[in-house]
Amino acid sequence: MTLKVYGLPQSSATQRVLVVLKEKNVPYELVPVDFFGGELKSLAFLAKSPFGLIPYIDDDGFILCESLAICKYIAAKYAGSGTPLLPDQSDVKAVALFEEACSVEESNFQPIATGIVVEKYFKAFRGLQPDDKVVEECISKLNEKLGGYEAILKKRRFLTGDNMTVADLAHLPTGTIIGDVGVKLLGDPDKRPNVARWWKEISSLPSWLTVVAEAKAA
Amino acid sequence: MANLKVYGHIISANTQRVLMILKEKNVPYELITVDFMHGEHKTPSYLEKHPFGQMPYIDDDGFILFESVAISKYIAAKYRSNGTQLLPDSSDLEAFALFEQACCIESNDFYPLAGGIVMENVVKPLHGTSPNEVVVAELTAKLAGKLEGYEAILRKHEYLAGDKVTIADLAHLAVGSTMTHSGVKLLLDTEKWPNVARWWKDITSRPTWREIWEERVVAAKLLAGS
Repeated sequence: MTLKVYGLPQSSATQRVLVVLKEKNVPYELVPVDFFGGELKSLAFLAKSPFGLIPYIDDDGFILCESLAICKYIAAKYAGSGTPLLPDQSDVKAVALFEEACSVEESNFQPIATGIVVEKYFKAFRGLQPDDKVVEECISKLNEKLGGYEAILKKRRFLTGDNMTVADLAHLPTGTIIGDVGVKLLGDPDKRPNVARWWKEISSLPSWLTVVAEAKAA
Repeated sequence: MANLKVYGHIISANTQRVLMILKEKNVPYELITVDFMHGEHKTPSYLEKHPFGQMPYIDDDGFILFESVAISKYIAAKYRSNGTQLLPDSSDLEAFALFEQACCIESNDFYPLAGGIVMENVVKPLHGTSPNEVVVAELTAKLAGKLEGYEAILRKHEYLAGDKVTIADLAHLAVGSTMTHSGVKLLLDTEKWPNVARWWKDITSRPTWREIWEERVVAAKLLAGS
Protein backbone atom coordinates (compact mmCIF):
# COMPACT_ATOMS: atom_id res chain seq x y z
CA MET A 1 0.00 0.00 0.00
CA THR A 2 1.36 3.44 -0.93
CA LEU A 3 2.50 5.56 1.99
CA LYS A 4 -0.12 8.22 2.77
CA VAL A 5 0.80 11.68 4.08
CA TYR A 6 -2.08 13.51 5.77
CA GLY A 7 -1.32 17.21 5.54
CA LEU A 8 -1.29 20.14 3.14
CA PRO A 9 1.17 21.05 0.38
CA GLN A 10 1.54 24.60 1.83
CA SER A 11 2.16 23.45 5.42
CA SER A 12 5.85 23.80 6.31
CA ALA A 13 5.83 20.69 8.50
CA THR A 14 4.21 18.70 5.66
CA GLN A 15 6.77 20.10 3.19
CA ARG A 16 9.65 18.72 5.27
CA VAL A 17 8.25 15.23 4.87
CA LEU A 18 7.55 15.71 1.15
CA VAL A 19 11.10 16.87 0.34
CA VAL A 20 12.55 13.81 2.11
CA LEU A 21 10.12 11.46 0.30
CA LYS A 22 11.13 13.01 -3.03
CA GLU A 23 14.87 12.82 -2.25
CA LYS A 24 14.44 9.14 -1.38
CA ASN A 25 12.26 8.43 -4.47
CA VAL A 26 9.54 7.00 -2.23
CA PRO A 27 6.10 6.93 -3.84
CA TYR A 28 3.44 8.55 -1.70
CA GLU A 29 -0.06 9.96 -1.75
CA LEU A 30 -0.72 13.36 -0.16
CA VAL A 31 -4.16 13.29 1.42
CA PRO A 32 -5.23 16.90 1.97
CA VAL A 33 -6.89 17.71 5.30
CA ASP A 34 -9.74 20.18 5.73
CA PHE A 35 -7.74 22.59 7.86
CA PHE A 36 -10.20 25.51 7.82
CA GLY A 37 -13.19 23.18 8.25
CA GLY A 38 -11.91 22.05 11.65
CA GLU A 39 -10.95 18.52 10.63
CA LEU A 40 -7.86 18.68 12.87
CA LYS A 41 -10.07 18.99 15.96
CA SER A 42 -12.32 16.07 15.02
CA LEU A 43 -12.24 12.91 17.14
CA ALA A 44 -11.32 10.84 14.09
CA PHE A 45 -8.27 13.01 13.42
CA LEU A 46 -7.23 13.18 17.09
CA ALA A 47 -7.35 9.38 17.22
CA LYS A 48 -4.49 9.37 14.69
CA SER A 49 -2.70 12.61 15.65
CA PRO A 50 -3.34 13.25 19.37
CA PHE A 51 -2.14 16.87 19.29
CA GLY A 52 -4.32 17.73 16.29
CA LEU A 53 -1.33 18.59 14.11
CA ILE A 54 -0.29 17.89 10.55
CA PRO A 55 1.33 15.97 9.06
CA TYR A 56 0.98 12.37 10.08
CA ILE A 57 1.70 9.38 7.91
CA ASP A 58 -0.01 6.03 7.47
CA ASP A 59 2.60 3.57 6.22
CA ASP A 60 0.55 0.46 5.58
CA GLY A 61 -1.16 0.81 8.96
CA PHE A 62 1.81 2.26 10.88
CA ILE A 63 0.78 5.74 12.05
CA LEU A 64 3.48 8.28 12.83
CA CYS A 65 3.31 12.00 13.76
CA GLU A 66 5.90 14.79 14.10
CA SER A 67 7.57 15.80 10.84
CA LEU A 68 11.15 15.31 12.04
CA ALA A 69 10.39 11.81 13.37
CA ILE A 70 8.66 11.00 10.06
CA CYS A 71 11.66 12.29 8.05
CA LYS A 72 14.09 10.17 10.10
CA TYR A 73 11.84 7.08 9.73
CA ILE A 74 11.60 7.44 5.93
CA ALA A 75 15.34 8.06 5.66
CA ALA A 76 16.04 4.91 7.72
CA LYS A 77 13.43 2.63 6.12
CA TYR A 78 14.52 3.59 2.60
CA ALA A 79 18.22 3.99 3.42
CA GLY A 80 19.19 2.24 0.19
CA SER A 81 16.98 4.40 -2.05
CA GLY A 82 17.71 7.84 -3.49
CA THR A 83 19.93 10.30 -1.58
CA PRO A 84 21.41 8.99 1.69
CA LEU A 85 20.08 11.33 4.35
CA LEU A 86 21.37 9.74 7.57
CA PRO A 87 24.86 9.05 8.87
CA ASP A 88 26.17 5.49 9.18
CA GLN A 89 23.98 4.15 11.99
CA SER A 90 26.80 2.01 13.39
CA ASP A 91 28.96 5.12 13.95
CA VAL A 92 27.85 6.36 17.40
CA LYS A 93 29.69 9.69 17.08
CA ALA A 94 28.38 10.43 13.58
CA VAL A 95 24.83 9.68 14.77
CA ALA A 96 25.40 11.97 17.77
CA LEU A 97 26.51 14.87 15.56
CA PHE A 98 23.46 14.29 13.37
CA GLU A 99 21.17 14.39 16.42
CA GLU A 100 22.96 17.55 17.58
CA ALA A 101 22.26 19.23 14.23
CA CYS A 102 18.58 18.15 14.31
CA SER A 103 18.28 19.55 17.82
CA VAL A 104 19.96 22.82 16.79
CA GLU A 105 17.31 23.24 14.10
CA GLU A 106 14.50 22.45 16.57
CA SER A 107 15.68 24.70 19.39
CA ASN A 108 17.85 27.42 17.82
CA PHE A 109 16.25 27.97 14.41
CA GLN A 110 12.62 26.85 14.23
CA PRO A 111 11.10 28.76 17.19
CA ILE A 112 12.69 32.08 16.21
CA ALA A 113 12.11 31.76 12.47
CA THR A 114 8.50 30.73 13.19
CA GLY A 115 8.07 33.95 15.19
CA ILE A 116 8.89 35.88 12.01
CA VAL A 117 6.52 33.67 9.97
CA VAL A 118 3.63 34.22 12.41
CA GLU A 119 4.03 38.00 12.30
CA LYS A 120 4.86 38.60 8.66
CA TYR A 121 3.09 35.70 6.93
CA PHE A 122 0.20 34.28 8.95
CA LYS A 123 -0.99 37.63 10.25
CA ALA A 124 -0.91 39.13 6.75
CA PHE A 125 -2.91 36.10 5.58
CA ARG A 126 -5.60 36.98 8.12
CA GLY A 127 -5.49 40.71 7.35
CA LEU A 128 -3.79 41.61 10.66
CA GLN A 129 -0.85 43.96 11.24
CA PRO A 130 2.48 42.43 12.25
CA ASP A 131 3.94 43.45 15.59
CA ASP A 132 7.13 45.18 14.42
CA LYS A 133 8.73 44.93 17.84
CA VAL A 134 8.35 41.14 17.85
CA VAL A 135 9.72 40.94 14.30
CA GLU A 136 12.72 43.05 15.29
CA GLU A 137 13.43 40.85 18.33
CA CYS A 138 13.18 37.67 16.27
CA ILE A 139 15.50 39.04 13.58
CA SER A 140 18.01 40.08 16.22
CA LYS A 141 17.90 36.62 17.86
CA LEU A 142 18.11 34.85 14.50
CA ASN A 143 21.15 36.95 13.55
CA GLU A 144 22.85 35.81 16.74
CA LYS A 145 22.03 32.15 16.07
CA LEU A 146 23.24 32.36 12.48
CA GLY A 147 26.60 33.37 13.92
CA GLY A 148 26.72 29.87 15.40
CA TYR A 149 25.69 28.35 12.06
CA GLU A 150 28.46 30.31 10.29
CA ALA A 151 31.04 28.94 12.73
CA ILE A 152 29.87 25.35 12.05
CA LEU A 153 29.53 25.75 8.27
CA LYS A 154 32.96 27.39 8.00
CA LYS A 155 34.35 23.93 8.79
CA ARG A 156 31.73 21.73 7.09
CA ARG A 157 29.87 21.63 3.78
CA PHE A 158 26.67 20.58 5.56
CA LEU A 159 25.68 20.77 9.22
CA THR A 160 27.07 17.35 10.08
CA GLY A 161 29.98 17.18 7.66
CA ASP A 162 30.44 16.35 3.97
CA ASN A 163 27.05 14.73 3.48
CA MET A 164 23.63 16.31 3.41
CA THR A 165 21.19 14.91 5.99
CA VAL A 166 17.65 15.35 7.24
CA ALA A 167 19.08 18.01 9.60
CA ASP A 168 19.87 20.32 6.67
CA LEU A 169 16.60 19.71 4.81
CA ALA A 170 14.58 20.37 7.97
CA HIS A 171 15.40 24.09 7.61
CA LEU A 172 13.97 24.44 4.12
CA PRO A 173 10.28 25.24 4.62
CA THR A 174 10.51 27.88 7.34
CA GLY A 175 13.79 29.22 5.96
CA THR A 176 12.12 29.72 2.58
CA ILE A 177 9.09 31.56 3.99
CA ILE A 178 11.20 34.03 5.96
CA GLY A 179 13.06 34.86 2.75
CA ASP A 180 9.74 35.26 0.93
CA VAL A 181 8.55 37.82 3.51
CA GLY A 182 11.71 39.86 3.15
CA VAL A 183 13.98 38.56 5.92
CA LYS A 184 16.97 37.62 3.79
CA LEU A 185 19.34 36.56 6.59
CA LEU A 186 20.04 33.11 5.19
CA GLY A 187 21.09 34.32 1.78
CA ASP A 188 23.46 37.14 2.82
CA PRO A 189 26.91 36.24 1.40
CA ASP A 190 28.62 39.35 2.77
CA LYS A 191 27.61 38.83 6.37
CA ARG A 192 27.76 35.03 6.51
CA PRO A 193 29.31 33.52 3.37
CA ASN A 194 29.16 29.89 4.54
CA VAL A 195 25.51 30.05 5.65
CA ALA A 196 24.70 31.63 2.27
CA ARG A 197 26.64 28.91 0.42
CA TRP A 198 24.87 26.15 2.36
CA TRP A 199 21.46 27.78 1.97
CA LYS A 200 21.92 28.21 -1.78
CA GLU A 201 22.88 24.53 -2.16
CA ILE A 202 19.94 23.09 -0.24
CA SER A 203 17.30 25.52 -1.47
CA SER A 204 18.26 24.78 -5.09
CA LEU A 205 17.57 21.04 -4.80
CA PRO A 206 15.19 19.96 -7.58
CA SER A 207 13.15 18.05 -4.98
CA TRP A 208 12.68 21.24 -2.92
CA LEU A 209 11.83 23.35 -5.97
CA THR A 210 9.16 20.76 -6.86
CA VAL A 211 7.67 20.91 -3.35
CA VAL A 212 7.49 24.72 -3.64
CA ALA A 213 5.93 24.54 -7.14
CA GLU A 214 3.34 21.99 -6.00
CA ALA A 215 2.43 24.21 -3.02
CA LYS A 216 1.90 27.21 -5.32
CA ALA A 217 -0.20 25.15 -7.73
CA ALA A 218 -2.45 23.80 -4.96
CA MET B 1 41.09 7.62 29.65
CA ALA B 2 39.58 10.68 31.31
CA ASN B 3 36.09 10.71 32.81
CA LEU B 4 33.43 12.23 30.61
CA LYS B 5 33.25 15.97 31.39
CA VAL B 6 29.97 17.85 31.45
CA TYR B 7 30.32 21.63 31.13
CA GLY B 8 27.21 23.17 32.64
CA HIS B 9 25.57 23.98 35.94
CA ILE B 10 23.37 21.93 38.25
CA ILE B 11 20.75 24.71 38.17
CA SER B 12 20.47 24.42 34.36
CA ALA B 13 17.57 22.17 33.31
CA ASN B 14 19.43 20.96 30.25
CA THR B 15 22.46 20.06 32.35
CA GLN B 16 20.17 18.14 34.74
CA ARG B 17 18.80 16.17 31.77
CA VAL B 18 22.26 14.96 30.83
CA LEU B 19 23.28 14.13 34.42
CA MET B 20 20.06 12.10 34.80
CA ILE B 21 20.98 9.91 31.83
CA LEU B 22 24.59 9.51 33.03
CA LYS B 23 23.33 8.35 36.43
CA GLU B 24 20.78 5.96 34.90
CA LYS B 25 23.54 4.43 32.77
CA ASN B 26 26.05 4.31 35.67
CA VAL B 27 28.55 6.34 33.62
CA PRO B 28 31.16 8.15 35.72
CA TYR B 29 31.39 11.85 34.94
CA GLU B 30 32.78 15.14 36.15
CA LEU B 31 30.55 18.23 36.22
CA ILE B 32 32.61 21.32 35.40
CA THR B 33 30.58 24.29 36.63
CA VAL B 34 30.22 27.13 34.14
CA ASP B 35 29.94 30.58 35.70
CA PHE B 36 26.90 31.53 33.62
CA MET B 37 25.82 34.29 35.99
CA HIS B 38 28.97 36.13 34.88
CA GLY B 39 28.65 35.23 31.20
CA GLU B 40 31.31 32.52 30.98
CA HIS B 41 29.17 30.72 28.38
CA LYS B 42 29.46 33.69 26.01
CA THR B 43 33.26 34.02 26.14
CA PRO B 44 35.27 33.30 22.97
CA SER B 45 36.91 30.21 24.49
CA TYR B 46 33.49 28.73 25.40
CA LEU B 47 32.06 29.60 21.97
CA GLU B 48 34.96 27.67 20.41
CA LYS B 49 33.46 24.52 21.92
CA HIS B 50 29.77 25.50 21.83
CA PRO B 51 29.04 27.88 18.93
CA PHE B 52 25.63 28.83 20.39
CA GLY B 53 26.96 29.68 23.86
CA GLN B 54 24.56 27.42 25.77
CA MET B 55 24.82 24.82 28.52
CA PRO B 56 25.65 21.98 28.63
CA TYR B 57 28.22 20.49 26.31
CA ILE B 58 30.26 17.37 26.92
CA ASP B 59 33.88 16.48 26.29
CA ASP B 60 34.10 12.70 25.98
CA ASP B 61 37.82 12.11 25.69
CA GLY B 62 38.09 14.86 23.07
CA PHE B 63 34.69 14.31 21.40
CA ILE B 64 32.69 17.53 21.89
CA LEU B 65 28.89 17.38 21.74
CA PHE B 66 26.13 19.83 22.64
CA GLU B 67 22.28 19.82 22.71
CA SER B 68 21.11 17.92 25.80
CA VAL B 69 18.84 15.43 24.01
CA ALA B 70 21.57 14.60 21.47
CA ILE B 71 23.99 14.09 24.36
CA SER B 72 21.43 11.89 26.16
CA LYS B 73 20.91 9.74 23.05
CA TYR B 74 24.70 9.46 22.55
CA ILE B 75 25.31 8.28 26.13
CA ALA B 76 22.41 5.83 25.95
CA ALA B 77 23.76 4.39 22.67
CA LYS B 78 27.45 4.31 23.61
CA TYR B 79 26.70 2.62 26.94
CA ARG B 80 23.77 0.57 25.69
CA SER B 81 24.55 -2.42 27.88
CA ASN B 82 25.05 -0.37 31.09
CA GLY B 83 22.35 0.45 33.60
CA THR B 84 18.77 1.18 32.49
CA GLN B 85 17.77 0.56 28.87
CA LEU B 86 16.77 4.00 27.59
CA LEU B 87 16.54 3.47 23.83
CA PRO B 88 14.48 1.05 21.79
CA ASP B 89 16.25 -1.55 19.66
CA SER B 90 17.68 0.42 16.70
CA SER B 91 16.91 -2.42 14.28
CA ASP B 92 13.19 -2.06 15.05
CA LEU B 93 12.41 0.87 12.74
CA GLU B 94 8.84 1.37 13.95
CA ALA B 95 9.75 1.28 17.66
CA PHE B 96 12.58 3.74 16.99
CA ALA B 97 10.24 6.00 15.01
CA LEU B 98 7.77 6.08 17.91
CA PHE B 99 10.66 6.95 20.23
CA GLU B 100 11.70 9.82 17.93
CA GLN B 101 8.05 10.93 17.80
CA ALA B 102 7.98 11.07 21.61
CA CYS B 103 11.22 13.10 21.67
CA CYS B 104 9.66 15.57 19.19
CA ILE B 105 6.52 15.84 21.32
CA GLU B 106 8.66 16.80 24.31
CA SER B 107 10.66 19.38 22.38
CA ASN B 108 7.75 20.90 20.41
CA ASP B 109 4.70 20.50 22.66
CA PHE B 110 6.14 20.60 26.17
CA TYR B 111 9.52 22.31 26.43
CA PRO B 112 8.64 25.70 24.86
CA LEU B 113 5.54 26.07 27.06
CA ALA B 114 6.85 24.65 30.35
CA GLY B 115 10.20 26.32 29.68
CA GLY B 116 8.43 29.64 29.13
CA ILE B 117 6.65 29.26 32.48
CA VAL B 118 9.99 28.50 34.18
CA MET B 119 11.56 31.55 32.48
CA GLU B 120 8.88 33.79 34.02
CA ASN B 121 8.55 32.17 37.43
CA VAL B 122 12.16 31.15 38.15
CA VAL B 123 14.78 32.58 35.77
CA LYS B 124 13.56 36.19 35.69
CA PRO B 125 13.43 36.48 39.50
CA LEU B 126 16.96 35.06 39.66
CA HIS B 127 18.05 38.05 37.56
CA GLY B 128 15.93 40.52 39.52
CA THR B 129 12.84 40.84 37.25
CA SER B 130 9.25 39.95 38.18
CA PRO B 131 7.29 37.26 36.35
CA ASN B 132 4.71 38.41 33.78
CA GLU B 133 1.54 36.80 35.13
CA VAL B 134 -0.35 37.25 31.85
CA VAL B 135 2.31 35.28 29.99
CA VAL B 136 2.30 32.57 32.68
CA ALA B 137 -1.49 32.25 32.42
CA GLU B 138 -1.37 32.01 28.60
CA LEU B 139 1.37 29.39 28.61
CA THR B 140 -0.38 27.42 31.35
CA ALA B 141 -3.60 27.33 29.31
CA LYS B 142 -1.72 26.20 26.19
CA LEU B 143 0.15 23.50 28.11
CA ALA B 144 -3.13 22.25 29.57
CA GLY B 145 -4.33 21.79 25.98
CA LYS B 146 -1.21 19.80 25.11
CA LEU B 147 -1.68 17.55 28.15
CA GLU B 148 -4.89 16.30 26.54
CA GLY B 149 -2.66 14.83 23.82
CA TYR B 150 -0.33 13.34 26.44
CA GLU B 151 -3.32 11.80 28.23
CA ALA B 152 -4.49 10.16 24.99
CA ILE B 153 -1.08 8.55 24.48
CA LEU B 154 -0.54 7.55 28.11
CA ARG B 155 -4.02 6.04 28.31
CA LYS B 156 -2.76 3.39 25.85
CA HIS B 157 0.89 3.05 26.88
CA GLU B 158 2.79 3.15 30.12
CA TYR B 159 5.35 5.58 28.70
CA LEU B 160 5.46 7.99 25.77
CA ALA B 161 7.19 5.68 23.31
CA GLY B 162 5.55 2.44 24.46
CA ASP B 163 5.73 0.23 27.49
CA LYS B 164 9.31 0.96 28.46
CA VAL B 165 10.79 4.18 29.83
CA THR B 166 13.04 6.03 27.39
CA ILE B 167 14.96 9.29 27.14
CA ALA B 168 11.76 10.86 25.78
CA ASP B 169 10.10 10.47 29.20
CA LEU B 170 13.10 11.46 31.29
CA ALA B 171 13.68 14.57 29.14
CA HIS B 172 10.58 16.11 30.77
CA LEU B 173 11.86 15.85 34.34
CA ALA B 174 14.04 18.94 34.71
CA VAL B 175 11.76 21.62 33.25
CA GLY B 176 8.60 19.82 34.46
CA SER B 177 9.83 19.60 38.05
CA THR B 178 11.00 23.22 38.11
CA MET B 179 7.65 24.34 36.71
CA THR B 180 5.75 22.30 39.34
CA HIS B 181 7.99 23.65 42.09
CA SER B 182 7.26 27.21 40.90
CA GLY B 183 3.54 26.67 41.49
CA VAL B 184 2.16 25.47 38.14
CA LYS B 185 0.99 22.01 39.13
CA LEU B 186 -0.68 20.76 35.93
CA LEU B 187 1.31 17.53 35.94
CA LEU B 188 -0.07 16.55 39.34
CA ASP B 189 -3.75 16.81 38.36
CA THR B 190 -5.07 13.28 38.87
CA GLU B 191 -8.61 14.31 37.97
CA LYS B 192 -8.02 16.04 34.65
CA TRP B 193 -5.18 13.79 33.42
CA PRO B 194 -5.02 10.62 35.53
CA ASN B 195 -2.56 8.88 33.20
CA VAL B 196 -0.31 11.93 32.89
CA ALA B 197 -0.29 12.17 36.70
CA ARG B 198 0.46 8.44 36.96
CA TRP B 199 3.35 8.76 34.48
CA TRP B 200 4.70 11.90 36.15
CA LYS B 201 4.67 10.26 39.59
CA ASP B 202 6.50 7.26 38.15
CA ILE B 203 9.35 9.15 36.52
CA THR B 204 9.81 11.70 39.30
CA SER B 205 10.17 8.87 41.83
CA ARG B 206 13.27 7.49 40.15
CA PRO B 207 16.13 7.58 42.70
CA THR B 208 18.50 9.09 40.10
CA TRP B 209 16.07 12.01 39.65
CA ARG B 210 15.68 12.50 43.38
CA GLU B 211 19.49 12.80 43.67
CA ILE B 212 19.71 15.46 40.97
CA TRP B 213 16.74 17.40 42.34
CA GLU B 214 18.32 17.50 45.82
CA GLU B 215 21.58 18.85 44.35
CA ARG B 216 19.59 21.41 42.38
CA VAL B 217 17.65 22.59 45.45
CA VAL B 218 20.92 23.21 47.32
CA ALA B 219 22.41 25.11 44.37
CA ALA B 220 19.24 27.22 43.96
CA LYS B 221 19.45 28.34 47.59
CA LEU B 222 23.11 29.30 47.12
CA LEU B 223 22.37 31.25 43.94
CA ALA B 224 19.39 33.03 45.48
CA GLY B 225 21.49 33.97 48.47
CA SER B 226 24.40 35.35 46.40
